[in-house]
Amino acid sequence: MNKTILKSAFNILLVVGLLLIPRYVESPYALHMMILLFMSVAQGQSWNILGGYAGQHSVGHAAYFGVGAYTTMMLMHSKGVVPWVGVWAGMAAVVVVALIIGSICFRLRGPYFVLASIAVAEIMRLSAINLTPLTNGAEGILATEIPAFKIGATVVTDFVTKVPFYYIGLFLVLLTLAVTYWVQHSKLGYFFQAIREDQDAAHSLGINIALYKNIGLVISAVLTSLAGSFYGIYVGFVDPPTVLGLDVSVQIMLICIIGGMGTIWGPVLGSLILVPLSEALRSNMVTDLLVKIGMVNADSRIGIFLKENLSHAHVLLYGILVVLVILFMPDGLMGFVKKLAARRNREAV
Amino acid sequence: MAILEIKNVSKFFGGLAANSDVSFDVHEGMIMGLIGPNGAGKTTLFNCITGYYPPSKGEVIFNGRKLNGLDPDKVCMLGMVRTWQKVRPLAKLSVVDNVMVGALARTSSLKVAREMAMEQIKVVRMEHRTNFLAGGLPIGERKKLEVARALATQPKILLLDEVMGGLNPAESEEIIQLILDIKQRGLTQMVIEHDMKAIMRISDRIVVLTSGEKLTEGSPQEVVSNPDVISAYLGEPHA
Amino acid sequence: MAVFLQSLISGILIGGVYALIGIGLTLIFGVMRVINFAHGDILMVGMYLTYMIFTLLGIDPFVSVLITFPLMFLFGGFLQKVFINRVLDALAQNQILLTIGLGLIMSNTVMLIFTSDYKILSTSYSSATIKVGGGVSVSTPLLISFLITAAITAALYWFLLKTDTGQAIRATAQDRDAAQLMGINVKRMSIIAFGLGSALAGTAGALISPTYYIFPQVGSVFTLKAFVITVLGGMGSVVGATLGGVLIGITESMSAAYISSGWKDVVVFVLFLLVLLFKPSGLMGKSRT
Repeated sequence: MNKTILKSAFNILLVVGLLLIPRYVESPYALHMMILLFMSVAQGQSWNILGGYAGQHSVGHAAYFGVGAYTTMMLMHSKGVVPWVGVWAGMAAVVVVALIIGSICFRLRGPYFVLASIAVAEIMRLSAINLTPLTNGAEGILATEIPAFKIGATVVTDFVTKVPFYYIGLFLVLLTLAVTYWVQHSKLGYFFQAIREDQDAAHSLGINIALYKNIGLVISAVLTSLAGSFYGIYVGFVDPPTVLGLDVSVQIMLICIIGGMGTIWGPVLGSLILVPLSEALRSNMVTDLLVKIGMVNADSRIGIFLKENLSHAHVLLYGILVVLVILFMPDGLMGFVKKLAARRNREAV
Repeated sequence: MAILEIKNVSKFFGGLAANSDVSFDVHEGMIMGLIGPNGAGKTTLFNCITGYYPPSKGEVIFNGRKLNGLDPDKVCMLGMVRTWQKVRPLAKLSVVDNVMVGALARTSSLKVAREMAMEQIKVVRMEHRTNFLAGGLPIGERKKLEVARALATQPKILLLDEVMGGLNPAESEEIIQLILDIKQRGLTQMVIEHDMKAIMRISDRIVVLTSGEKLTEGSPQEVVSNPDVISAYLGEPHA
Repeated sequence: MAVFLQSLISGILIGGVYALIGIGLTLIFGVMRVINFAHGDILMVGMYLTYMIFTLLGIDPFVSVLITFPLMFLFGGFLQKVFINRVLDALAQNQILLTIGLGLIMSNTVMLIFTSDYKILSTSYSSATIKVGGGVSVSTPLLISFLITAAITAALYWFLLKTDTGQAIRATAQDRDAAQLMGINVKRMSIIAFGLGSALAGTAGALISPTYYIFPQVGSVFTLKAFVITVLGGMGSVVGATLGGVLIGITESMSAAYISSGWKDVVVFVLFLLVLLFKPSGLMGKSRT
């Protein structure tokens, strides 16, 4: 009892703290980092519902991320539809896509499902490239002018600073966490996990496999689409590789794999590791650090090489992390920590 | 009254018949034993009855309703549930969560499901294991968990596929008592078993399958004294 | 008619290379039940290897196959021994993720070394064609690569059907446990299979290098194509992969000619989904009842 009170107190404090950050932190860069972190948690948590709980490892989540992002951006750019309306259109589009994918892919098991999910995402990416009149093809859509958000005549925010994005991002995180918590503590969560652990056994216990897989997919896809719309609006630019590429799907999945699948804190942990690491590489922080501590001379060939190339290498880091995690902690960091804790408990007894 | 009628059921894989023209009735409240040498098509018959694959020919009628082509989940919702020869625990879930998955077929409330689950855990006498992970249980307890989980779906008929397979005599005895307990509660059961002594003790009637066909059907006494059964078993001796 | 014939011929020629890629993937899947998501990246490594041999040593890509093949075999064997071998009994998704990770490492290491610029390996015959008549012409490098492909495929069939090692590999693919009981060194067969699969992918990379742009991310396209080919032919079937490769080659060049080159990959993926939907065991595979 005491423990649960402590836990909720901690969670409330955390949320209040996060709500207050923009009041005291003015650095746009710090806020930007937090927004990236929020986006990552939201993406990971969305994937987690289908991949972690229901055990359906989609490697095609870029389809939902991209369709959400594109729908919102296309509507804003060509029809002048405000994003908070466009987001709904994005979700509707994604539900349609998800149900089509679900009806095809969920008749398949294991590797076939993975392959089909990739194929569908690739079809989306290639369509975005080819449907030029709608999507502006490979050039993508640039739309940085966001109309001010008004309720009646009062302007709530004009989206000039990063603060509104910070709060939207935080809202997304809380939303995905709440949905995951709700799934975990309902019939859905039990059925998802039963399907993950043993599909035939689940089937014999009265679980309509196709129905529940599709429910998981739709929940997961809609939340991913929200993250995608948010990405599009925040960055102000979408093109086929950045929102529909295979890399996007892998990245989304990676958040959960590194943190730990099928746990509520896994994607949070995964994001806390991945986002700062890839940001450090992207912004050349690592090279600067190596130069600063005198390991590398900034003007030497190695220094120049690192400066020019290391910033593109964050994906290399993803690759190394995946390999290490699969080989040495296949249940992710959360699983690893749990195992350590269990061992300590056993020793204590 | 017959709760389950198997009418001329055949199942072909490619050109091979795993079951051919099998017919029998299971009456309410009884224990029907299903025996036969390895490869006689016992598990295939279970799979046909419970919807894992539709029979190639014939009909399965449960409570007056034709089941052919119905998915396993629908079959379960109608009140027929099976266990697996090779146990299938939901390994990363605890014992109580496993049984709750079964109970959730009948309720949407986790609270009610938990109470229903605890009730069945008591029936199989595994209260001391409630919060253990199913994947870490010894085989005997995994078999009992499987029964509890099936019972939690509130079935009218329970199909047990070799629940005593791989158990030691003490554990088998416990399962026999469990099956008899379940019978006391009025539940119909169909049991596949290799252990002849056990099946003779618990069954009210027995169907013998060989090479996919029904060899004979009768009371345990009739079956053991049937020369065809003896030769079917002696013809293919087994451990 | 000329357009049709032209597309048919180009389709078959490029299909030969696809077949090589597909056979490599199916061989690995057959023996280890691992779906190799790094297959296209291995092909990409083969392309860069060929490019380096060409620019540094001046050896023609079609000749350097003789170097690429054994080197890629060793590379594949190494990957199997150090990484894949550890996850043979793991969950399918973990195997998939591991190979995805290895693929990312390959493509991004190559990017660090060579940057992401497109490289072109231009030989004297890169854009040469042979006129067949009736308005149909055949690209010389494609024709040569097709002939080499055909030779390699024939050699591979001979190896799998006639040699002891080949038969051991097929036995392992059919039933790993039984093969082990029969005294076949299953681990060694896995290394050979992964080596061969990689060598075939690397060779395919070498063969297309005179006609394709070379860049670090080129692999993912081929990984996906390899899946389509193998699923089409039935996972694990070498004959199926050969036919699947040619079929995909023809489908692509036909849809490029009659729809548009931008949509040709979409057509291939849609075909893939249709096969998964209606005949998941593959066009050539036995269907389950």
